[in-house]
Amino acid sequence: MPSNPKRLLEDLKSLLGRNKVIEDEAIVRLYSREPSGLESPALAVVFPETTGDVSRLAKYAYSHDLRLFPQGSSTSLSGSAVPLDEGVVVTFEHMNRVREISVVDSITVVEPGVRIDELNLELAGKGYMFPVDPASSAVATVGGAINSGAGGMRSAKYGTMRDWVLGLEIVLPDEHGSVLRLGCRTLKCRQGYDLVRLIVGSEGTLAMVTEAVLKIAPLPEQVVVALAFYPELRDVAEAVVAVKEQGVQPYIMEFMDDRTVEAAAKTVEVSVEASGHMFLVGVDVNREAAERTASWLSRTLSSAGATRLYVAGTVNEAEERGFFTLRRSLLPAQMRVAREITGSPRTLVYIGDIAVPPSKLVDAVEELRSLEAKYGLFTMIGGHIGDGNLHPAVGLDPRNKEQARRVEEWYLEVMELALKLGGTISSEHGIGLLKREGLRREFQHLGSEKALELMKGLKRLFDPKGVLNPGKVV
Amino acid sequence: MPWSRARILEEAEKCAYCGFCEAACPTLPYGRHRGYGPRGRVALSGHLAAGGQASSEVLVSLYTCLTCAACTLKCPAGIDIPSLVRAARSLVAAAPHKKRII
Amino acid sequence: MVDVKLILSLLADNVERTGYPVPIDPRRIYSWAEPLKLPRGGRTVLYTGALYQLVPYINSLVRHLESLERRKGGGLALRLAKTVGRIVDLGKIVAKADPSEVSTVEKVLTSIANLLSAAGVEYGYLYENDLYSGVLLYDMGLDEAFRRHAGKVAEALKRSGASLVITVDPHTTHVLRKVFPEYVERFEFEVKSYLEVLAEKGRRLPVKTPSEPGYDVVLHDPCFYARHEGVIEQPRRLLALAGLNVKDPAKSGRMTYCCGGPVEAISPSLSKRIAETRLDELRAVGGRIVTMCPICYANLRRAGGEVEDIALHLSRRLLGA
Ligand SMILES: Cc1cc2nc3c(=O)[nH]c(=O)nc-3n(C[C@H](O)[C@H](O)[C@H](O)COP(=O)(O)OP(=O)(O)OC[C@H]3O[C@@H](n4cnc5c(N)ncnc54)[C@H](O)[C@@H]3O)c2cc1C
Ligand code: SF4
Ligand code: SF4
Repeated sequence: MPSNPKRLLEDLKSLLGRNKVIEDEAIVRLYSREPSGLESPALAVVFPETTGDVSRLAKYAYSHDLRLFPQGSSTSLSGSAVPLDEGVVVTFEHMNRVREISVVDSITVVEPGVRIDELNLELAGKGYMFPVDPASSAVATVGGAINSGAGGMRSAKYGTMRDWVLGLEIVLPDEHGSVLRLGCRTLKCRQGYDLVRLIVGSEGTLAMVTEAVLKIAPLPEQVVVALAFYPELRDVAEAVVAVKEQGVQPYIMEFMDDRTVEAAAKTVEVSVEASGHMFLVGVDVNREAAERTASWLSRTLSSAGATRLYVAGTVNEAEERGFFTLRRSLLPAQMRVAREITGSPRTLVYIGDIAVPPSKLVDAVEELRSLEAKYGLFTMIGGHIGDGNLHPAVGLDPRNKEQARRVEEWYLEVMELALKLGGTISSEHGIGLLKREGLRREFQHLGSEKALELMKGLKRLFDPKGVLNPGKVV
Repeated sequence: MPWSRARILEEAEKCAYCGFCEAACPTLPYGRHRGYGPRGRVALSGHLAAGGQASSEVLVSLYTCLTCAACTLKCPAGIDIPSLVRAARSLVAAAPHKKRII
Repeated sequence: MVDVKLILSLLADNVERTGYPVPIDPRRIYSWAEPLKLPRGGRTVLYTGALYQLVPYINSLVRHLESLERRKGGGLALRLAKTVGRIVDLGKIVAKADPSEVSTVEKVLTSIANLLSAAGVEYGYLYENDLYSGVLLYDMGLDEAFRRHAGKVAEALKRSGASLVITVDPHTTHVLRKVFPEYVERFEFEVKSYLEVLAEKGRRLPVKTPSEPGYDVVLHDPCFYARHEGVIEQPRRLLALAGLNVKDPAKSGRMTYCCGGPVEAISPSLSKRIAETRLDELRAVGGRIVTMCPICYANLRRAGGEVEDIALHLSRRLLGA
């Protein structure tokens, strides 16, 4: 880094233009936080508007050993978006245009700062959608979602980010600030080693993404949504099995355990009577089949033992009747409860992101509950049950060293339990800062420690000076 | 009653930093940075209440809020954002003015 | 962007000295009512809070700030300090209020008064006691100045002998109903917007069958009515009663989108861009755009919108004038 921060700021301003650099401390702090509660201040924030800006920045960073921390909306939950050490946040919020939508080619070309909901609003006008929908889609950017390898409610059916990115324009932190175009505009593409998929989920540690070619999908004609509550966990599992045995791949399948439902109902206004374990299912159908589907869904969920059941014929109706409110309030509820328990405004929330094979879900939830007893940590559990992805969360006051230690041990043991059940330590939030040890253990568990070496080698290859988002992932 | 510093801090600390409010905000798309949106304004209100400096960027962020409350509808933490912003403004306005107008 | 602190002290100073945020001849606040020969005071009073009347003067200030914002070179704050820093100069600038704006505002207020009378509401007017509400002081966080000013307003209202206060715009309605009770001891008036009062009369309104056929109107809900005061359904009911076909833009009711007006003095350009965004949405619906707030009216107009106040539509349709 240039020896003197004043000099650095002047350099950045002449590189990009004065109005694309912010050094005001209070404003910079707005770009130094994540919802997890992690915070670490940067020196400045820069706002590139073109690929050229990004390239000049990358070249400068390389030659001056300046650390760059790429950022979308900083809604990451793994620590991947907070700046560490002295460095500059590169926010893509001013590169936010949808450049092209082609229904014939089934693609859209976007800048990285486009928010997912905004993209979907434009696509909906043409009867299409971008199906990866993290619960944070109102705010999360395409660039952030690509780099965290995000998933969402529809992932059981549509997969995650890695299934929807066809091509990328990236900028490398090398002596030229090289701009590369990877991948294709076509659905089929065999371009040697798959560098596109290497960037997806790389958490801003390999390159900066300046444009993406994404696949799009037609909007389903109609989605029937059911919201059910069960007294027993086993019943929920049975309901999942029963739905799948009909040969149906639901559009969404979400879960929250009973105490989380209770806490969420205290956090937001819910218009349904919510108690027990929540199971939310959506099935996409042709209009003609909607009624038939609604009635088999009711039957199936009831006979699995639902004590309360609500069914809506369309997503709009489900929205209006507040079916999604509970699920969307998961994180705020987790935070509220965490804060209540620690009694401190400085509260961090550790959110697990494990996945287990759906057949092991009941085991996983039961083991999570026994961990709760072991560590004395109130644990709230929710997740995407269709793909076995669970988000157990606990809160801590980082100033309370004893508690912090307990939480860290708990966090590791949660990841261990996923591995034991044949799952993975992170499904969609990424590794960031919080799961580096977990990643090591996963490869150890697989007897594949060498994979970590390969990853470190890749990092060096892409970013020889280690200026891009250092300290994250590997 | 006007909110006390402690009340402002308490409200600002409810914020989960999820950003759900940002999509609704009319000023954010035309602003220079996150301070022009509700998530930023909530954090900056807390910053002022904690005794942070009222730099010109902080002032502009708080004073470009329309107090239209579009954000409040989206906030899962139930923060009354316009009231919070207004309360933060009262901290600024109560500070002695540098320039007096004759 | 203008110097926030400068605007604050300007505002506070003006209100303290003259009772108004921008210099205005106080007779201009109530002269519209004189031809109507409205009675003075009474248990129910009409209180405009002067916002409608001030808008043409605020507009001319905003036009001035806008021209400063556009000029290149030098800090805007400095030029502002030089050109509007002193009250005398400010007086000169705002004295250039557009006469056609002034006359529109007076027509709106006259229509409101006539509608109330025709609906059989017995009310009096406050004339020189129709003081500015101080809402800008409150919005800007000038709490102490606002508290002092609110005290004077409350005194004037008490002197009038009123128990029910009828307001004419969303900002004054909100500040009187929700904020005054927090800042003024024993502020016990019932406060209602004239739209609420008229809507309560419902079918008892003297509906003359309009000669002209009905037309489509696109309603722009002001944030303070829709989100802060729950006035959403009343204007719709009244427009329907007047034989008009109300169409809603995509963002309406509680989900309405701000006109950008509240920041017109802090950042005229930001304010205008928001107004343009909103206008596009309103225009996309197709129909005559209707506002219920002088700030929305002024700001959407400034962005080139052909908008009209609800009171003018109601009065033409229901009273034939
Ligand atoms: C309430 C809530 C709910 C959530 N629900 C989900 C969920 O259901 N599923 C899910 O997967 N995640 C979820 N998340 C996590 C997070 O929102 C997503 O991972 C999201 O995709 C991150 O987007 P962002 O724009 O905020 O990126 P950021 O958080 O800003 O960044 C994420 C990562 O991407 C990198 N990055 C960002 N832009 C670029 C770029 N242009 N080039 C290179 N690197 C870049 C950053 O360095 C960082 O490593 C949730 C978060 C919250 C707060
Ligand atoms: S109240 Fe302020 S922060 Fe909230 S949406 Fe309106 S302008 Fe944005
Ligand atoms: S929606 Fe509420 S909790 Fe989330 S960032 Fe905005 S103010 Fe904070």
